[in-house]
Amino acid sequence: MTTAFIRLKSHFANWRDWELNPVVVKELRQAVRSWTVTGVLLLFLTVLFIASVGFLVSQSFEGDVNEELGSTMFGTFVTILAGASILFIPLYLGIRISAERQESNPDLLYVSTLTPGQIIRGKFLCGAYITVLFFSACMPFMAFTNLLRGVDLPSVFFILFVLFLVVCSLNQAAIFLACLPLSRPFKNLIALYGFFQSFWIIVPLVFGAITMMHSGIGTMMAERNFWIGTATVVGAGLAVVGLLYALSVALISPPSANRALPLRLYITIVWVLGGLLSLGWVWWIKDVRLMFVWTYLTFALMLFALLLTVSNSDHLSRRVSRRIPRSWAGRIPAFILFNGAAGGLVWVALILALTYGVTRGVLALDGTWFPKTSSAAAEDRHWFVATTGYAFAYALTALFIHRKFLPKYAPKIAGLLTVLLMGVWAILPSIVLFFLNQLSWKAVEGLQLGNIFNVFYLRDDEHRYYHTWFALVWLAVMILINAKWFWTQVKHFRPPPLHEPPVLE
Amino acid sequence: MNVQVKNLRKEFGKTVAVDNISFSFGSGNVFGFVGPNGAGKTTTMRIIATLEEPTQGDVLINGVSVCEEPELARRTVGYVPDTLPAHADITVHEYLDFYARAYGLRGKKRAQAVGAIEEFTNVTGIREKNIKALSKGMKQRVSLGRALVYDPDVLILDEPAAGLDPRARVELRELLMLLAERKKAILISSHILTELTEICNGVVIIERGKILETGTIDEVLKKGASRRTVAIRLLDGQTPQLLKELLQTPHVANARIVAGEIHFELSADESAACEILGELIAKKFKIIEFRQTKANLEDIFMTVTKGGVQ
Repeated sequence: MTTAFIRLKSHFANWRDWELNPVVVKELRQAVRSWTVTGVLLLFLTVLFIASVGFLVSQSFEGDVNEELGSTMFGTFVTILAGASILFIPLYLGIRISAERQESNPDLLYVSTLTPGQIIRGKFLCGAYITVLFFSACMPFMAFTNLLRGVDLPSVFFILFVLFLVVCSLNQAAIFLACLPLSRPFKNLIALYGFFQSFWIIVPLVFGAITMMHSGIGTMMAERNFWIGTATVVGAGLAVVGLLYALSVALISPPSANRALPLRLYITIVWVLGGLLSLGWVWWIKDVRLMFVWTYLTFALMLFALLLTVSNSDHLSRRVSRRIPRSWAGRIPAFILFNGAAGGLVWVALILALTYGVTRGVLALDGTWFPKTSSAAAEDRHWFVATTGYAFAYALTALFIHRKFLPKYAPKIAGLLTVLLMGVWAILPSIVLFFLNQLSWKAVEGLQLGNIFNVFYLRDDEHRYYHTWFALVWLAVMILINAKWFWTQVKHFRPPPLHEPPVLE
Repeated sequence: MNVQVKNLRKEFGKTVAVDNISFSFGSGNVFGFVGPNGAGKTTTMRIIATLEEPTQGDVLINGVSVCEEPELARRTVGYVPDTLPAHADITVHEYLDFYARAYGLRGKKRAQAVGAIEEFTNVTGIREKNIKALSKGMKQRVSLGRALVYDPDVLILDEPAAGLDPRARVELRELLMLLAERKKAILISSHILTELTEICNGVVIIERGKILETGTIDEVLKKGASRRTVAIRLLDGQTPQLLKELLQTPHVANARIVAGEIHFELSADESAACEILGELIAKKFKIIEFRQTKANLEDIFMTVTKGGVQ
């Protein structure tokens, strides 16, 4: 703690020596020299110029004063800006990183003394700078609309702020996708998919911006609820960006690094903050159902985390082993947060159990502390327990199969097996039943024990109860089968014997 | 500065690329790393440069493990891969400047380091050129400059001479000799073995992930000394008789006619060669040239390796 404080103090004391992130400098230099960036920027300016001239010329032929000319022009400029920045900048960043991170020959920048965090931050900041460049190129045109009627400045700033955040979030998403350890054809497919998917972001975004422009945000800004709502949405967006950042850093970290620690820490912190935010909203609006936003998101996130966790290797690298605390008190949280499938399973289970507990606790206050909400009482708790039970049962089964029958294959096989087992048991019986029931999907709504998706599509709510018990019994069996392996992992989670630290001459 | 490769093993699925190899080299040494394609040279070098993690074993750079402390180890290792820099939209100067920044050089110190390296690798004249537009030799110089810009104590060069013209190869050799004089520990892989003999102090011969020979150049050549080759040129057409005679002589093997001369391998010392010469003269063979050639690195390489890949 003291060392960290001293380092921080000396960092700020030497502020004159601060330099820009080297990756930002390199990326911006490359962007400036790149024909792609300058070409798209020139095209963008040309389109803006033609659009403005088109508007002014067409307006000059009309006799009446157009009260909405400013907002119409602004809407068009926002559409062009959103189109150019959302379609181009994330794609540009993604392609650049993909080219550097070819599976067979990653660029040496990834084995320099730059930390993975510095590299991802550098890429992200470069994306943000290019976004600012596009926004500033558009600014004179937008400023011009302010001279016309139908535009209020607060709306303009708010819309541009939201658009900027969206572009930055997409930049981070593109960086994450580019960091995935996939082959080039796969990455090309993802880029293509992402490009076309971007249209689904641009359309509602532009539609929302135009609606906001017409409704006038300036008046709403005086209300406290507006800022609370905005802060919540921006906070949630930043949390997602942060998660993608943490995932990207983990992806480019060397295999021997403690990749899980920052990721698990980040998710835990965001989970706690999200819970507090949801509780705040429940308290503020007096509606316990708002708690479900946090519950559902946590549930979805942790199921994804469960897949990643079982894909962890049991073997801890020497780098990680050296950092295991020597005290028991420190070793328990380390076991949960460090690399490793066993600790990861405990971490996921703890977060899901606490989420369930807190949600049930808040729901118990429905009708006592808070006004009674009919649908809150109707929320069935069995779906949460059943699906969680199934997810863990599948994960532990996959771990067992990998360990027992496929030990020579990489640990990620266990994650893949989890998905495969879930998918096969969900699809195959349904297909058989489809043909047995004269080409009807009705049977899908009937009871199919072991099918995790069946929990959500039941005709009879009573069946959810059977699912819960089946899942819990299966889970108990898998816990027993995996108990020896788990105990071995716990026993082996200890630091290596002390020796003299290496010294560089 | 001492680099110790200890019981290194690397598996890629079922393929064992490097199989329990150990060797070491130190400051001021140029160590040759020789082996056929697919022998495991690049994998070993990538492990030393912290690009790969070994399945077993370790590499210690002055006691710092590349597995446990790769960030620390990287500060002391400069790696020149077998691929050339192919960055788009960046000049030579910007490229070197970026790596100087990446390795923590700041302000004037960085400018000086980049300038010095540009001068040392002789790329000052092309510093404002785009990297993509450079020739192979120039790219190799830039790659070497990148590895040297933060003044590492250990240099790992993977096939640096591949594809270079004779002039560029001579210049590279001179650069390496200069670097060795500056007390760098250098590990270099190359298929041009005659060049390695000239610049290396030590050598490791590797095949199918296993070390076949290792030691100083003199030691390795000494091991090959028992396999000296002798060439005899005669004045007239006595060649078939001589060939017949030699095949019955002790310690002589693999006697054959090469371009009008008789070549054979002698598995004995120089006195045996002297005795054979005396006997041949006594038997009235008109010898106008009798020369023996000591085995060079190429001969030893051809003898110890089988050309196997994995």
